[in-house]
Amino acid sequence: MVNFAFKLMLRDLRSGDILMLLMALIISVSTVTTISLFIDRLQLSFEQESANLLAADRLIRSDEAIPKNWQFKARELSLKQARRTSFGTMIFSGDALQLSQLSAVTDSYPLKGAYLVDDTLFARGQPSKQPPKKGEVWLSSRLASLLNVRIGEKVEVGELQLTVAKYLVRDPGSSSSAFAISPRAVMNIRDLPSTKVIIPGSRVRYSLLLAGEPVDLENFESWVVPELKEGQRWRTPVEKGERIGDTIVKAESFLLLAGILAVVMSGIAMALASTRFVKRHLVQVAVLKTLGATPKVLIKVFSIQFVILFFTGALLGLAVGWGGQGVISSLLSGLMSTSLPEPSVGRLWLGTITGLVSMVAFCLPMMLRLIKISPMSVLHPSRKLEKNSLALYSMGFIGIYGLMCIYTKGFLLPSIMTLAMLAIGILVSIVGWMVFKLGRSLTSGATSGWQIGFASLYRRLLPNLFQLLVFTLIIMLGLVLVGVKSSIVTEWQEQLPVDAPNHYLFNVQKDQIEQINASTENLRVLRSDWYPMVRGRVISVNGKSIQTLYPEGKGEPELYERELNLTWSHSLGKGNKLLSGDFSADGLSIEQRVAKAANLSLGDTLTLNIGGNIVSLPITSVRSVDWSSMQPNFYLILPKRVLDGYSANFVSSLFISNENAQPFYKSMSQHPTVSILNVGDILKQIQTVIEQLSEAIQLVLLCILIAGALVLIASVRATLEERLEEGALLRVLGAKKALVQQSLVVEFGALGLFSGLIAAAGAEACVYALQVFIFKSQASWHPLLWALGPLIGISIITAIGLFASRIVLKVPPMHLLRDF
Amino acid sequence: MAKRTAIKVSNLTHTVTANTGDLTILKGINLEIKEGESVAIVGSSGSGKSTLLGLLAGLDVNTSGEIVLYGQAFSSLDEEKRAIIRGEYVGFIFQSFHLLPSLQAIENVMLPAELKGDEGARKKAEQLLDKVGLSHRLTHYPNQLSGGEQQRVAIARAFASSPKILFADEPTGNLDEANGKIIIKQLFELNKSQGTTLIMVTHDNELAKKCDRHMVMSEGSLVEK
Repeated sequence: MVNFAFKLMLRDLRSGDILMLLMALIISVSTVTTISLFIDRLQLSFEQESANLLAADRLIRSDEAIPKNWQFKARELSLKQARRTSFGTMIFSGDALQLSQLSAVTDSYPLKGAYLVDDTLFARGQPSKQPPKKGEVWLSSRLASLLNVRIGEKVEVGELQLTVAKYLVRDPGSSSSAFAISPRAVMNIRDLPSTKVIIPGSRVRYSLLLAGEPVDLENFESWVVPELKEGQRWRTPVEKGERIGDTIVKAESFLLLAGILAVVMSGIAMALASTRFVKRHLVQVAVLKTLGATPKVLIKVFSIQFVILFFTGALLGLAVGWGGQGVISSLLSGLMSTSLPEPSVGRLWLGTITGLVSMVAFCLPMMLRLIKISPMSVLHPSRKLEKNSLALYSMGFIGIYGLMCIYTKGFLLPSIMTLAMLAIGILVSIVGWMVFKLGRSLTSGATSGWQIGFASLYRRLLPNLFQLLVFTLIIMLGLVLVGVKSSIVTEWQEQLPVDAPNHYLFNVQKDQIEQINASTENLRVLRSDWYPMVRGRVISVNGKSIQTLYPEGKGEPELYERELNLTWSHSLGKGNKLLSGDFSADGLSIEQRVAKAANLSLGDTLTLNIGGNIVSLPITSVRSVDWSSMQPNFYLILPKRVLDGYSANFVSSLFISNENAQPFYKSMSQHPTVSILNVGDILKQIQTVIEQLSEAIQLVLLCILIAGALVLIASVRATLEERLEEGALLRVLGAKKALVQQSLVVEFGALGLFSGLIAAAGAEACVYALQVFIFKSQASWHPLLWALGPLIGISIITAIGLFASRIVLKVPPMHLLRDF
Repeated sequence: MAKRTAIKVSNLTHTVTANTGDLTILKGINLEIKEGESVAIVGSSGSGKSTLLGLLAGLDVNTSGEIVLYGQAFSSLDEEKRAIIRGEYVGFIFQSFHLLPSLQAIENVMLPAELKGDEGARKKAEQLLDKVGLSHRLTHYPNQLSGGEQQRVAIARAFASSPKILFADEPTGNLDEANGKIIIKQLFELNKSQGTTLIMVTHDNELAKKCDRHMVMSEGSLVEK
């Protein structure tokens, strides 16, 4: 039986039907494989990028020296380790001295990522995997400028002299030092004891950095976390890279969406190919039945063919998919600053499952129906298949839905997409039926291409509605991706323009503001408003003290954990959005995330200790804050009258280009009390990630659009035969080529136009839902979609249709008629 | 020795559901056909000839009455068993040939034997195609053959399973006169040499006269002439 089934299949290959099915399967498996492997590589790359920020896979931060047994345990679990000890200290050079943030690191530091160092002040930097050698120190350009030292010269740290070996551009894992305001320096930890700067009571931050296999890290985490005391924290890259975390999450959602669309398109391709297969095998099966093939035999034959088809298609699809992601990655390699990690073979299951599910959901039920065909249909050709049952369609639908859920590991995204497709189905049926009917009644007769075109649209109403649905879905899916892509990328670009602030100025006194304004204006530096800053601490909520609410400080929300920077402002700052309440009311304005974490809402009263004075204020507004805007932002904004009496420091953020850096630092040296915080490194990293992601999603979009075009071609081919037959008949009856051509243009053009329009409407609705529920961003209109939809619809579908139908215009009609 | 009964039909009625309600196509037909006989059923379009042929061959199940083929009552069997009987006893020739377009002439003829797992399928097919004068067309596809040639391939295929009964539905319906004559000649020759029972539906009275028995189907009833 295997032999017979195989032989029959091989012979069938010549007809092209099995080949179509095989092609659909290969497209299905390879598209999903390409995208899932590519996403996998990007995710690994994001993780590495995040690890760069942490300089490790995991980190423990402690206010006390790291216990030795933690290091032993890490060694026992074969984890790589490094240590960093950071503290503020004076660095001396001759008469110059400067408070600096110094990190002393082990030779193994950094475990992930690299330092960026240079031999020139304020240069871009070259990567270095090694920290400073014993006896050396690296100074940030700003620190070197302030101390007026150059490479090769000596500086003093405590009792030790160290040689300046490099200018430090980026310090991996130092983003926390962004909040340490002093300029940075790095030295080798082996020199630390000789400096004698760390004495009991010094404020030192100790870090143990770890890298290794995920399972070992998890084991260590579950062992060490219960050991953590106050002042000790376990950190993961995601937390650390919070700022870029949001961007990455959005990009991942986009790629998942792209993957889902690939799955849906594969499903459509499979359904089309299966329908064509069944249609063309009706007679074959009926004849086989008259020849004595029993249902059991046929089930066996088709099952064997099914299995052979699956394995062949899946293997070829996986191979093509593997190659495809390689091509995408190599295309991207020129654009991306880092090379992508190798894809993992383990991810291949997704493509395989997609192939299997789409075959089981679309191909198998069709084959089973085929087997049920009555042998009587050889005598009565009108007796063909029983009507498609709801159960059959449901199976395809459930299959696709299930795949999407597996793919996204969730229900929200698949549900949005499925609902959108259902709505489109209903819309297409109603609009299509009305338009085709109207078109037919307006153009009765058979003398022009318009009349023939609309007549044939109306005559084959059901197949045409189905085709309209397929066209609409594919165009819609493409448009959804275009819409989401452009809104994500635009949002990113808006969020982080090239001139996003990269420095903060702290500890500025009121009388210094004018001078600083003048010097920054001379340098044409962009600066945000000045915000006054007063320190204060929340001591009770609605009359209950924090100590009562959180004895021993356990589970304390961030808002109560430490002293806060308080400000006043008459207007909402950049990146702030009022969510509820009245910002101008005489009360507190609170940031929504901290409010939620502390379970606070409008009307709750917070009591603050500000410089020894106790102030109670109700919460009168809740704001959302875009923390990635790099603007000075505050958890709490108080009324001006409350803070008026306190001496405030002022803060502002500004963008300083590389060229302006040196003159700026020079001008700032006149204000030694002002602290400058350089966040340029973090920004640079975020911008790199965003650029990479933008490029990546554009390439993935291109892949999906190509796959979509292939499915469109398959869909046109699916109904080609009837159109060819009709064209041939028209030519036999004396119709000129131009008339046949015109009627085809009308038919495909109308299908294209309406599918494009409905797709644009569907895509707009879908993008809206995705923006609101998935990407949590501002919903916006996309005029581009409304232009692209009909344009793509008319041009591509007409072009594909005419190209596929060119045979009807070329070949003598007799040949065509004989074939039917 | 008395000939065996190939088919016996008792009080056969067949009703289908149409848009306008139930439609009785065959009304109480009784018929007995002996082994080796050739029977022609003629009648106007829509008189129920093809439906009768399909029921006799077990392609469909009748509404009431009984059809017994070589001692086996078709009506009580499921599709699985009917297919087995078809494979064993029945051969078919159709008006529109129904060759499988993706298979070559020889492969079409080999099909019935291959379905039975017959090792000598190819040889047998070659011999049959030789008998219908198509030994030079073995590897041609149906669309490379003329209508007459396609029907000759179909005849070869019908005899490939050495059927005891051959059902032919308008075998010359789609052919010109000259080709029709060749087909009829080959059909009757093969029929005779293999001792097959032939039941044929046709519009062609000339063709009907060549058969041992001649029946007329009219409004669902069958009358022997």
